Amino acid sequence: MKTFTHSLLLSAAVLLSPLALAQASNDAETLAKGEYLAIASDCTACHSQEHAAKPFTGGKAISSPVGTIFATNITPSKAFGIGNYTEEQFANALRKGIAADGSHLYPAMPYTAYAKLTDEDIHALYSYFMNAVKPVDQPVPETELPFPMNLRFSMAFWNALFLDDTVHQDDPEQSESWNRGRYLVEGPTHCATCHTPRGLLMQEQGDQFLAGAQVGPWYAPNITSDKVSGIGSWSKAEVVQYLKTGHVEGKAQAAGSMAEAISYSFQHLSDGDLNAIADYLATVPAVNTASDNRFNQGEPGNKLAAFRGKDFHEDTSAPGARLYSGSCASCHGYNAQGTEDGYYPSLFHNSVTGEANTSNLIATILYGVDRETEAGGHVFMPPFGDQPNALNNLDNQQVAQLSNYILDMHGLKGTQVTPEQVAEIRAGGAQSPLIQYARVGMGVGVVVVLFAIGLLWHRKRKK
Amino acid sequence: MSTSSNSGASNAEVVIVGTGVVAAVVAEQLLDAGLSVLMLEAGPRVSRAEIVENYRNLPLGNKGNAIASYPSKPWAPHPEPKSGRPGDDYLQVSGPNGIGYLQSYVRYAGGSTWHWAGTCWRLTPEDMRLNSLYGVGRDWPFPYEELEPYYVMAEYKLGICGPSDAAEQWPQGVKRSKPYPMPELPFSPGEEKFTKVMREKLGLRNVHVAQARNSGMPYDSRPACCGNNNCVPVCPVGAKYDAATSLGRLEAKGATILHNAVVYKVETNANNEIAAVNYLDPNKDSHRITGKTFVLACNGIETPKLLLMSADERNPNGLANSSDQVGRNMMDHPQLAYKIKLKEPYWTGLGPVVNSGIMETSQGDYRSRHAAAYFRFNNFAQNRFVTFDTLKQGLIGRELDEQLRHNTATSGMIVAAHEVLPDPENRLTLSDKKDWLGLPKPAVHFDVGEYTRRSAREFSEPMIQRIADAMGVEEAPTSPGFRPSKHIMGGTIMGKDSSNAVVDDVCRAYDHANLFLPGGGAMPSTATGNSTITMVALAFRASEAIIRQMKTGA
Repeated sequence: MKTFTHSLLLSAAVLLSPLALAQASNDAETLAKGEYLAIASDCTACHSQEHAAKPFTGGKAISSPVGTIFATNITPSKAFGIGNYTEEQFANALRKGIAADGSHLYPAMPYTAYAKLTDEDIHALYSYFMNAVKPVDQPVPETELPFPMNLRFSMAFWNALFLDDTVHQDDPEQSESWNRGRYLVEGPTHCATCHTPRGLLMQEQGDQFLAGAQVGPWYAPNITSDKVSGIGSWSKAEVVQYLKTGHVEGKAQAAGSMAEAISYSFQHLSDGDLNAIADYLATVPAVNTASDNRFNQGEPGNKLAAFRGKDFHEDTSAPGARLYSGSCASCHGYNAQGTEDGYYPSLFHNSVTGEANTSNLIATILYGVDRETEAGGHVFMPPFGDQPNALNNLDNQQVAQLSNYILDMHGLKGTQVTPEQVAEIRAGGAQSPLIQYARVGMGVGVVVVLFAIGLLWHRKRKK
Repeated sequence: MSTSSNSGASNAEVVIVGTGVVAAVVAEQLLDAGLSVLMLEAGPRVSRAEIVENYRNLPLGNKGNAIASYPSKPWAPHPEPKSGRPGDDYLQVSGPNGIGYLQSYVRYAGGSTWHWAGTCWRLTPEDMRLNSLYGVGRDWPFPYEELEPYYVMAEYKLGICGPSDAAEQWPQGVKRSKPYPMPELPFSPGEEKFTKVMREKLGLRNVHVAQARNSGMPYDSRPACCGNNNCVPVCPVGAKYDAATSLGRLEAKGATILHNAVVYKVETNANNEIAAVNYLDPNKDSHRITGKTFVLACNGIETPKLLLMSADERNPNGLANSSDQVGRNMMDHPQLAYKIKLKEPYWTGLGPVVNSGIMETSQGDYRSRHAAAYFRFNNFAQNRFVTFDTLKQGLIGRELDEQLRHNTATSGMIVAAHEVLPDPENRLTLSDKKDWLGLPKPAVHFDVGEYTRRSAREFSEPMIQRIADAMGVEEAPTSPGFRPSKHIMGGTIMGKDSSNAVVDDVCRAYDHANLFLPGGGAMPSTATGNSTITMVALAFRASEAIIRQMKTGA
């Protein structure tokens, strides 16, 4: 009788919701698939403070333009993690940004991308997290964003406006590889989360898909198929090499959160998947955002004659060149030519110095580079900011002088960096005006905001 | 950087004089144990970029001078012979081998590891028992087995790379409790050839130097060595450990670091414990810093000098000096260096400046008769040394380039580094001459002694000639005589007996329960290998004793 009732209830539940009582699988194949997807989705980048030592235990502070968000513990700990999650709750968190307790996640969690994940893949991920990840009972700090961003329910409106929660569907007109690539790019690897510019309300701007965006102190550049401002000039093999090693000599190298993505995620994907990503990226609609190609700017050279032989503290007409000599030349070469093996990149024909947006040049100087791949080794450039291990502590004025020297000699001539820009990057990047707008909006014109939202809603429905 | 030094700080639980490697290691251990730490540096605190650019601005003829990139400040002179600078005749040397004790060290925040080569040979068990085994010198008050764990700590703290093959490790045949944290650096072409020639012609084993340098990987949040061959006078990228790389981390952990703060008097209280240190700033104003425990780690010359300068009613011969051994037993590794002109190209210069050595020659029963020596073929790039002579040949254009290449490839230097015995007559005293602040300059009388002279005569010079012959030289090499290795040891010597030693086996002064003197000054024997790793091992050992003493009173 008990069994019968149980079965009845179970059937009812299954009928009501196909995922509601699904059990996590424990077979090796599903777990391996789930692990691969967790790597592809780079969960560890945000959800681990110590990637190797304590994976998925959360607590890492993610700086966002509206404040610091603490990543949660996603180990199957029942007290502090997701140990009590059903598969449906897990799916809702990933695809809808709704936690088990019904509260809304902030879109720092890329659920707008994970919404593309198929049921099968959600199941594999759930099985992996429940059965293969070690539960760690470790609490994480509460995220406390400033008013009004602390009103999590407001995310419901945001989701209604901006969350496209349709699961990925293959396009029968396209190849299997292209479809796989599109799934990976739009779904698990969530490229758009960083590379697509966001609007006033932090929503991704669909017509600017992968056209380049600021991510904290770094700039995630245009990776559309545009031949001038995107990566349309790259061969497929170069895209694959970049994703495997984070470096294509004479073109670009990964730092900041892209270095993490390469180190923790992309280098571990199969060649088939990396080629699929390259296949799909080649067809992403070209968006032209610059008139200059960032990969072929600049040339070798130096201004040693301006200061060599003068006392270090004596004035020089080329202060940036002296900073370059003292802090950079020992690795990148006196002419910024880099090394023959490419381990130390040249600073000309380099996307960091050829890009009109100077964030990556400033951020590389201030924060350095830390990237480790099997194929490319451990690449480590020390920082030159305020860190205890900074090789030299350069102030905002010095970073600006150094940047301007590098841009003029080796990069996009005519580009200027100001000490104020350096200060902003040093502080972690521009803060969103959203908080101010929202507060002002609430203070002087709630009606206007509601009207605007209503209007956007209306438009969205019509689409 | 500012020249003012007083942050308003006036006390800490532990006051450390010095900011070099020993001071930095002690400071970090104490900070990690939750103690408050204040460090005083006599000299300035400058950026690495400034030193790098100072070096690049030097005229070619002065680039071989390890100190020229570190101009001393008037208030903190360090030896700068024939420079016309404040340190010109700062260190007064005398005796049969006075010139052999004209040391190089810098009074800059970060200390002399700024310009060390990074070489880290451990002592052998025998090196610590010279008296028992060979009837010469002094024994250490504890055996190698007790030092070994501290060597490991030093290797992991400084990031010392070394061979994983036990046959290539030094000391040979002695168990290591942990592998090196990084693999050895590869040989340069010249070292490859030298190693082969030594093995095949002389049956000698040239092995990889264990060195405090990041080998093929970042370590300690510092980058990998990229082979600038610029280790002396400064690593431009921080791949070599120097104490300056750790100062920011110490501050992040809560240390206060005062620079341009010249400690001139250590003060005792009625119990003859240390009560305070007093320092002068560049305006010649005096300041007083109090604490519970004091550590003097300001180099093997400055530490005994400061103890002697601090003489008071209770300690008329200077602090810690009831044994009359402070400033005595001054030691180094007197070296004979030979420029050689090779018949065939060897090509040194790829990688660090010192990257291999023949250590096995430094052990044996012969030590009852004469000093040990180890031999090495330096890996300095030779172009800067050969340029002037090549220019004098009057060549131009392509011929000049080719001759320069040829001379660079066929020039080199082989070195014999010797041990010396502790001799009370090799003595540091306070000179009548005063420095800019009016403080006495240090004076050292030095004689390498018959034990070491006999080694040169009977052992090392003949060996150098055999090595040169095996390598194939144009003419028999000569040396200008004993020169310093800049490994200052002995002035605050360690021993079991307080009547003839300054510190006990944890580097605590016998005369003052709260005064520690870790570092090279404590070493009772020198052996032949560079002293820093042993100084750091002693720093770890002393740190444990300080923490134990402060937390439990034991």
